[in-house]
Amino acid sequence: MNSSANEWKQWLAANGPRLLLFARGWSNSRHDAEDLVQEAILRMWHFQADKGHTTPDLPLVFSTIRFCGLNHHRSESRRRKREESIVYLNDFQDVWLDPLLEEDEEAVILREAVQKLSQKLREVVVMKFWGGLTFLQISETLAISPNTAASRYRYALEQLAHELRRMKEERHASA
Amino acid sequence: MPALDPIEAALARLMPPALSQNFQYELDEMIDALAGQEAQGITVGISSRPNRWIVGSGIAAAVAGLLAIYPLVQRAPDRQISAQPEEIRSGLVLVSESDRIQSMTDEGWQENSEGHAMHALRLNVVEENSVMDEETGIIVLISQPREELLLMPISSF
Repeated sequence: MNSSANEWKQWLAANGPRLLLFARGWSNSRHDAEDLVQEAILRMWHFQADKGHTTPDLPLVFSTIRFCGLNHHRSESRRRKREESIVYLNDFQDVWLDPLLEEDEEAVILREAVQKLSQKLREVVVMKFWGGLTFLQISETLAISPNTAASRYRYALEQLAHELRRMKEERHASA
Repeated sequence: MPALDPIEAALARLMPPALSQNFQYELDEMIDALAGQEAQGITVGISSRPNRWIVGSGIAAAVAGLLAIYPLVQRAPDRQISAQPEEIRSGLVLVSESDRIQSMTDEGWQENSEGHAMHALRLNVVEENSVMDEETGIIVLISQPREELLLMPISSF
């Protein structure tokens, strides 16, 4: 059992960041995203019991995070209705992606653009680009056709390119 | 391999942040806890998943017999650690029994049934009994977790 635990830890060390990034699309903060990942891993551990606790397939984990996110979103909506008087503030330091180079202005603009994508487009981009999934795997995760997954990806890239141009122009105009 | 779209090239300059040390630690702890539970489940799960453990019908009969006498073992009056063999039923010997405290929580002050203030401790105890089938020599470890509330009189304030 210890070898299983070690395999899972290594698997999490390798895949944890991309799972957390995907979970960000289903949560309001990094902490909520961590909770989602943790819940999904717990479910996957029990799911893999019959397979001798081998590490899970990545597309399945994305799918489980999505399922947990949907559940969480439903209960969160109900909670917010009860607590309408509370003002939720964004944590602007709480970013989804890090640029490889600190002073990469274009990457920082692009990060904002990724966050602004609609959920449908963003999750395809995250799974394809940072998750490394194929369109077939994405289609299975989202219960859509591979063609739809591919067209969402292309459409997202077009939107990102457009948004990048627009935001750069805005910044340069105000500078 | 198709050439990267310029926007993909720009996306490649972004990467998911690493897991925080705290979160990594929490995940590792969870995996260790799950793996630990599973290891305990091996002993508890004999009745629910016998196919994992029973290879032949002879062994199946032995395990069934052990499960049948399990309530007798459970009601053994002395729950302290005991290394002395004890014959429960013909062919089955209780090799050892022990109570292990896994965790303890201070519950503060509580009133007992007579209204006296008591200091309450909640204990998570695991009772483990090893039983041997004399015929086959198979030793089965039966473990059962339970929770106990220990009330101790408060002698001074």
